[in-house]
Amino acid sequence: MNKLHPRIRVVWIVRAIVLAAVVGAIGVAVATVFEVSTVIPVGLAVLLVGVGVVHAILRYRNWRYVVGDDAIYLERGVFTEVRTEVPLVRIQHVDSRRSAFDRLVGLASTVVYTAGSRGADVTIPGLTPTDADGLRKRLKTLVIDTDGEDAV
Amino acid sequence: MKLAPRSVPYRALQKSTSLAITAVFIASIGSEIGFGGTQLLLGGLGILIVTVGYEVAYYQRFRYDLTGDTLDIRSGVFSRREREIPYGRIQNVDITRNVLQRLVGLSAVNIETAGGGSTEAVMQYVTPFEAKRLQQEIRRLKKGDTEQRSEVLDDQSGVDASDDQGEVLFEIAPSELALAGVLSFDPRVPGLIIAVFTGSIPFVSPIIPIEAPTLVLVGILIVLVAGGIALAWVVGAVSAVINYWGFRLTRSDDELRYERGLLQRYSGTIPFDKIQAITISDNPLKRRTGYATLAVETAGYSPGQANGRGSEAAVPIASRDRVKRLANEISPYDRPQFNRPPKRIRRRYLVRYLLALGVLTAVLYGAAAWFNATGEVPWYLPAVGVLLTPFAAHYKWLHRGYWLGENHLSTRDGFWSRETKLVAYYRIQTVIDRRTLFQRRWNVATVIADTAGSLSILGTDAAAVDIDDDDAEKLREELTSRLRTALADRRKQRRNRTPFEWLEDSTTVSGSPESDQVVEESSQTVDDEDDTETDTVDPDQDTDSDTSSTGTQDSNPDSNPD
Repeated sequence: MNKLHPRIRVVWIVRAIVLAAVVGAIGVAVATVFEVSTVIPVGLAVLLVGVGVVHAILRYRNWRYVVGDDAIYLERGVFTEVRTEVPLVRIQHVDSRRSAFDRLVGLASTVVYTAGSRGADVTIPGLTPTDADGLRKRLKTLVIDTDGEDAV
Repeated sequence: MKLAPRSVPYRALQKSTSLAITAVFIASIGSEIGFGGTQLLLGGLGILIVTVGYEVAYYQRFRYDLTGDTLDIRSGVFSRREREIPYGRIQNVDITRNVLQRLVGLSAVNIETAGGGSTEAVMQYVTPFEAKRLQQEIRRLKKGDTEQRSEVLDDQSGVDASDDQGEVLFEIAPSELALAGVLSFDPRVPGLIIAVFTGSIPFVSPIIPIEAPTLVLVGILIVLVAGGIALAWVVGAVSAVINYWGFRLTRSDDELRYERGLLQRYSGTIPFDKIQAITISDNPLKRRTGYATLAVETAGYSPGQANGRGSEAAVPIASRDRVKRLANEISPYDRPQFNRPPKRIRRRYLVRYLLALGVLTAVLYGAAAWFNATGEVPWYLPAVGVLLTPFAAHYKWLHRGYWLGENHLSTRDGFWSRETKLVAYYRIQTVIDRRTLFQRRWNVATVIADTAGSLSILGTDAAAVDIDDDDAEKLREELTSRLRTALADRRKQRRNRTPFEWLEDSTTVSGSPESDQVVEESSQTVDDEDDTETDTVDPDQDTDSDTSSTGTQDSNPDSNPD
């Protein structure tokens, strides 16, 4: 079982902080317009940050994946635990992806597409760029090995 | 090949009519400016000329060709598009004709592939004969035989000859059609009525006597509501009858054909290969009277999605036995003996219902207290439901379950609207095992077998809900392993089947195949042709996989005893 790169926690925490900041700013703005105390929105933002940090840590702790001989297995989720098994025969294509923020912290993610309607895109975040590329290439060779004609 | 020449005037008229309507609409908005009759006439004439010109150009530009392995379409007047669709990827070929098109002898052909939310190729319009020919040719080319063209074409003396091809699986009986109509209720109608009604309140309100006694007002309201429901019901019944008029399903060796519709005739084919799941649904009333509904899911966009759930081959209602027989014909399955969730889960449902009732009662009490009317309003009424909760919990549990059959996973869920789903193992895309916070408290999990079906987008995948933790683990592993063996079996079958057809036509391999090796190799090339992938790269990779991919699996065709 592989774990994600620990730095992914930073990404998630920063995301939570940004969200909290936006919510807090809107709240403060509303509060000043209606001339009520700004304690509530600020408190809400602080609470959101706290929840976000805990959630990020738990999320990181629960995230596991492994690329087996014939399937990718993923385990994740804080409130709802989800375990997904994606047979390699079913993979349509594989992306490795880096957002601007990902590049800033030096991370990348791999997205696996199947024809399924629900597990249509399985994303493995928090990989180092080399790992993500490696994973993509490895999946590519594994997928070519298995018969592509069964994909749908 | 080109479209039918007759499509030019038809399309031009169609387009100019809609343009004219828009123009009139716009003109009516700006009516203060004041258009004269001659101006309107000239404008209409101008629109007609422009559209005719456009449609002539469209007709001239539109070309389609059935090549050896792709359907090529070149189209577009201003921006041009060339599209090649490999036959192997085509999910279904649909022909639709509305009343007008039937009168003038035109058909629209829609070609769907998996993936993508829209129709991949639209041919508006070809002659009915050409439409049928396309359908049959694509079917034939998909199988990969390019040799027997002349023979097949000779077979087809007329359009209607092909209608009778294949064995009839299902034909809707008049009584069933009537029943389908009676049971249909168009939920869009009440919405529409409400929208119209609320919009027209200012006009209606003067008519209704405000000073009238409450009883009269209530009476008017009841009449209005009843009228709305009756109207919705009539509209639903009429549309169901029109949609399913003359519904029939036929099968040829590897395809399902459906036909339905009174005003607009839908017909199409679904290759058995592409069927993702079969859903049988019923409700307490249908269960009691022995009826059920059947839907066949395929991947990709389905036509007629506007009228409900969008499954091409949906049997609106038929006796339970007929539905089961039909499902069995489409995909033979063994009678499921459902494994129910553990009994303790009934307590969870009980708790859930009690909580819901408690919340409802509390809200009612709160509202009553707010208006100081706790004495008059029977806020405690929902609490009576407590008596029913044990039964509700029991029945919820009773109708849930899953079953691992020979070739299928069956799942069942729901009391009021019960759905039994059949998913062939080789159709499963991913297996998902979910546990919410509450499920973890009860040590249960939900296992979802995701397919590429189009209905699944609504979140109605085959799911074994609330099964025991350990069972879930086992089920997940079992499903993936069965998926692999089923795929390997199918591959083996395909390999065994294709070579001989191919060898008969082939000139490169002389003499009969003496060893499995020859068959093996030739089948590889056949597969490549089917897939329309580059011939140079694939065979190597394919053979690589045959030797390297996990010798333990049946997937290794070299270990094939045949």
